[in-house]
Amino acid sequence: MAVRSSQSPVRPLAADRSVSRLLEAFERVPVAATIRRAEDLPQALASPVPAIFFLRAPAFHLGPLVWAVQARGKMAFVHIDLIAGLGKDRAGVAFLAREIGVNGIVSSHGNLIAAAKADRVIAVQRLLLHDDLGLPSALTAIERAQPDIVEVLPGVIFPEIADLLRGRVAAPMIVGGLITDAGQRAAILGAGARAITTGSVALWQ
Amino acid sequence: MAVRTPGLSGVLLPAVRDAASLHQALDLGYRQVLVERGSLLAMVGPLAISARQGIAIFVNLDGVEGLAPDSAALAFVATDLGLSGVLSVKPHVLKDASRFRLRTIQRIHALDSTGLETGLRTLASPAPQALAIAPALAIPHVVATVRAVTSVPLWGTGYVTTSEQAQRILAAGAEVVSSSRREVWQDFQT
Repeated sequence: MAVRSSQSPVRPLAADRSVSRLLEAFERVPVAATIRRAEDLPQALASPVPAIFFLRAPAFHLGPLVWAVQARGKMAFVHIDLIAGLGKDRAGVAFLAREIGVNGIVSSHGNLIAAAKADRVIAVQRLLLHDDLGLPSALTAIERAQPDIVEVLPGVIFPEIADLLRGRVAAPMIVGGLITDAGQRAAILGAGARAITTGSVALWQ
Repeated sequence: MAVRTPGLSGVLLPAVRDAASLHQALDLGYRQVLVERGSLLAMVGPLAISARQGIAIFVNLDGVEGLAPDSAALAFVATDLGLSGVLSVKPHVLKDASRFRLRTIQRIHALDSTGLETGLRTLASPAPQALAIAPALAIPHVVATVRAVTSVPLWGTGYVTTSEQAQRILAAGAEVVSSSRREVWQDFQT
């Protein structure tokens, strides 16, 4: 694996945590790569995506992966709810923000979004669309936490439900989940998403 | 003949959240409802009366307020209220529910491929009477993945706002589709 090679990445002095720079980069390439297995990382590093989201990585071996992303001029985000071994609490957020030096943190939980903002990383709150009668309380949770970016899932239904969200989500929206082809990507971006997040390698190009 | 979920009398399941929406569904002639959200405890009277009249009532235990996901709550739902079945993402809750002769419907969140696979890997035992895919709108995109794992009946719940969407989800292989929209309830009763 690339990160075990002789030039193993070192931690940069400071991580770029500018939301506006991320959104500018998404205007050029509106895709973030999601990584479930470390084997997929080299392809994401070689692709033009401006951001890489780690799902399910081991917390205490994450540093070199994140720094390899940053060495390529990309932003590294970690999904704290899914990271093995890490407390889903303030200390867990502080570890990612200060010890690893991630650019951003993704979570469904408002308290972790607040902690991420307090630690000055880009805070991405997930909006999970499983039942429409639960949408008002989900929107209230987002309004209260005021994340920098909202990630809406599942992305594949976004073109059909975008009208339900319009005007009700203040933060810029990125959209992920079950996206498998370029037609879906085009429809989602056409419906107002700033970027898609996807693990489908073919969509990273 | 395709396997069907016992106790259901039609393909549309009105999703309700309070006594008012329950009565709207019953007034349209529905004999089945899903209590998707809201406080179950604030509607125990109407629910118990409806159940005695033979209305099949299903409760989403992950969505309603007022109940703990434990045996005492399941005994209350089954014995005191006489409801027909429960929905949950949690296999152990469904296992408990089956002891109270409730129909068990396992909810599967179709939010991303990781979550979908996790849900499908942890099917309840005994086998649930149906899987409820949430949101229903994702069913056309995930039905092949689900069918590769199990042949139990599929319900679709969540974000069905038009009758055209409901028809599309049924055509994709769902046996039952749930909607919280009264316009959809009306279309399916006429």
